[in-house]
Amino acid sequence: MKKALITLAAWAIFISGFAQISQNEKLTYTGAYRMGGMMTTLAQVSLQTNPVKTSKKTYLHLCMEAQTFSKWDYFFKIRDLYESYVDPTTLRPSLYKRNILEGKYAKMEKYIYKGNTINSTSDSKNGATKNFNVHGGSMDVVAAMYKLRAVDFSKMRPGQVFAVTVIFDEKEYPASARFMGKETVSAGCLGKRECYKLSIAARTNKLRGKDQNIIWFTADSKKIPALIKFSIPVGVGQLVLSSVH
Amino acid sequence: MRKIIIIIAIVFAVIGIVFTILPMGTLALLPNLLALVLAVFAIFLSKGSKQLKKLPLIIIIVSALATLTVVGKSLLVKDEVAPDKQFEQKKVQSEKEDVKDLEGLQ
Repeated sequence: MKKALITLAAWAIFISGFAQISQNEKLTYTGAYRMGGMMTTLAQVSLQTNPVKTSKKTYLHLCMEAQTFSKWDYFFKIRDLYESYVDPTTLRPSLYKRNILEGKYAKMEKYIYKGNTINSTSDSKNGATKNFNVHGGSMDVVAAMYKLRAVDFSKMRPGQVFAVTVIFDEKEYPASARFMGKETVSAGCLGKRECYKLSIAARTNKLRGKDQNIIWFTADSKKIPALIKFSIPVGVGQLVLSSVH
Repeated sequence: MRKIIIIIAIVFAVIGIVFTILPMGTLALLPNLLALVLAVFAIFLSKGSKQLKKLPLIIIIVSALATLTVVGKSLLVKDEVAPDKQFEQKKVQSEKEDVKDLEGLQ
């Protein structure tokens, strides 16, 4: 138990170190959902980075966008926008925004990080603000995704686990990523590629099954998330890389 | 037996048409092909008898057309997102507001 805790702590410190994420990068994915045993394409998902300058500092703007293909818009329209403004070196977030439209459901929320306190604003509370405390190192889902990318997988052994606390819907969720070794997979537009395989788990009912939520990162310096498979309460889906810019 | 097969074929044909209209991709092939096979089987069962073959024939034609439509759509229609001006404007507006918030943080 003690060993496990030390390993977890070591990884938490390790991943909180400095990271290099390329600026002005755009990764596009084709999102598919399993219906009747067959994968049916549903939406385009993109992950984009760009620098944003203020009068005193330059932030790295991380943007995750999901948009249903036009053929689905009439039946179920999705326009999701998840944004995080982070320090380009430490990837520590300063501002997070979630603006989603899924069918008839719409939600907008904003977190402003002030040390270990988050100032949250949500349209469901008519724009009222709420302050809540988080643990040091806790971050939103977008920043956590990029933080994961910054890990040096080449130094990891299969079975090694590292922890991160993710903030979602004004709550903290302990999450972990278990390194499962290397695997050659069909990496969408990149063709067959050797990838680092990671199993994601979180203490939440939003993710299902053991080793059912997997991310494959290309085993090179760019560590591009090439293939993502997920299992959520309403079904199983995947994101396949369709373009890299 | 023949009647039951025709009823099941009709049910699959209807599901097939609905799936063909909806953007279900190649998933629509499943009910269409099942309707096709069952309708052919119904004709096979009525061979030599004077029973009407009109209904199974209609199911075959409808299911075959639906199958062709699904195959054609999957080969010719690309997965594309429609340009959404409102969404793009929302993103631009959002970034402007974010810069203001970030300025306030310093």
